[in-house]
Amino acid sequence: MLRKILLALTLLSLPVLPPVAQVRAETPTITVSKSDSIALALTPISGSEGELVTSVLRNDLSLAGYFNLVSGGQPGLTVSGSDSGGVTSGRVTDFSGGTVLQRQYRGDARQRAHAFARDIIETLTGNPGLPGSRIAFVATRTGRKEIYTADYDGSNVRQLTHDGNISVAPALSADGRRLAYTGYLKGYADIYTIELGSGARRRVVKFPGTNSGATWSPDGSRLACTVSRDGNPELYIVSASGSGAQRLTHTSGVESSPSWSPDGQEIVYAADNGGAPRLYRISANGGRPRPVASGYRFTTEPDWSPDGKKIAFNLREGGGFRVAVHDLASGQTQTLSSAGSNAQNPVWGPDSRHLLFTDGPNLVMIDSRTGRRTTILDGLGAISEPAWSR
Amino acid sequence: MLHLRLTPITRLFGTALIALSLAACAGANKKKQYAGSEDGDFVSGSSLPERQEGVSFLSGNVDRQSVSPVYFAFDSYEVEPGEAYKLDAVVRKLQGGSGQLIIAGFTDERGTWEYNRGLGERRAQAVRAHLLSLGADGSRIQTTSFGADMPADPASNEAAWAKNRRAEFGFTP
Repeated sequence: MLRKILLALTLLSLPVLPPVAQVRAETPTITVSKSDSIALALTPISGSEGELVTSVLRNDLSLAGYFNLVSGGQPGLTVSGSDSGGVTSGRVTDFSGGTVLQRQYRGDARQRAHAFARDIIETLTGNPGLPGSRIAFVATRTGRKEIYTADYDGSNVRQLTHDGNISVAPALSADGRRLAYTGYLKGYADIYTIELGSGARRRVVKFPGTNSGATWSPDGSRLACTVSRDGNPELYIVSASGSGAQRLTHTSGVESSPSWSPDGQEIVYAADNGGAPRLYRISANGGRPRPVASGYRFTTEPDWSPDGKKIAFNLREGGGFRVAVHDLASGQTQTLSSAGSNAQNPVWGPDSRHLLFTDGPNLVMIDSRTGRRTTILDGLGAISEPAWSR
Repeated sequence: MLHLRLTPITRLFGTALIALSLAACAGANKKKQYAGSEDGDFVSGSSLPERQEGVSFLSGNVDRQSVSPVYFAFDSYEVEPGEAYKLDAVVRKLQGGSGQLIIAGFTDERGTWEYNRGLGERRAQAVRAHLLSLGADGSRIQTTSFGADMPADPASNEAAWAKNRRAEFGFTP
């Protein structure tokens, strides 16, 4: 009750935003502390595809982790809208009935719902939303490892490669428009890129030996990857077309799994230098690597959060793997216990809060703040190596 | 009972003997380093030659059966002394033909996927470095890695894992 009063007082004291076609909040209109969730009423979207839009919207808002979805008919934040002729008109009103967000959305029903949900999340929390982001992963549904794409909520699964070979290590560019992966079509591990819109594919990194583990720089102009042409698997940066190869590391161990900082200045990766693999960071211009003190012995597959503050990674414990998050400012590392003991390849979502990983054969999403788990995909054989756009 | 009088000349002789033995041991260690163990200041291994067009490890005309795989300890890419003898046969076969050798590295399943691709490659390259030290021609030796994919034994037990941690040899025509 007290919480409702405080929320109401907070709402009353804020300026009500004028109803405009596009509302983009630069700062949060509601300030949420970590343990709070925002009470939000979702009234069903009316109209021809309203039921589907509502259902996708409800799932998006639930997964986001910021909201407590309540029944409507009381004063408070309310989502409503109508759907007609391929356009969803969406609205969020506040305690006093003033409009906080009003906008029209186009595209197919799922796209409209995701775009609306993303706006709601960003307007009410000031944080980036997950809806609209895309994922890629490896699955063995056909009996061979192939690359698949999907919406972040597990819908619209599409088989992208039909190589009938071993197609692995997918990575999505930030804008979700391109995918890099490791393929063995020439009998060696080479890095391919695919323009997802046209389907055009190019073999871009094909040095002697093994070329793998490509990840896109935040601006999409370069790839970091592992190349072994020097007689040893080393970290390299190449342009997105494969030209201008720059070697970054010089050790006799294995360098693997580079991940870019969001400002494109640094790369975190795993290197074993004769012992167990540990995490290091290095400038994208090369230079001396610095260890990331995770506190654990066998650590691989690092992924740098989009807000630049955290590195998620795998640690091996006993016979299995755990997901852990290292906070760069505090130097603290926490394992995500609800991810279980068979969790592999954690990757951050655009909100720097949710992670995807595989648990056995299934693709699972976890809210790193609350520990809440949701199975996103199963039944595709064994899923591995997820990737997530922004 | 032989009594040695430690005259200065005896002392010198003794010291020389010890120094020579230590040098021999150091020589043996250098050989171990060549086979892929760690040293802190590594700059580069031996670069790989260009690949042969149109043929790769899994090609139909590649001979993968002649020589037994070399097996590795858990988490290791060192060529163990007990496995190194197999490489003599590899050198002989390579020198007896005119094609290339492709070394394919593999791991067991107990690592994450991308790290295992690197570990498999590192195993193949450790074997290649060892072959070079035996006098093989590096310009005829390629490496590739399948990581934890294509296990020799898909079971999840110690016996299967031991069979999967391997480097296999493919000779091109």
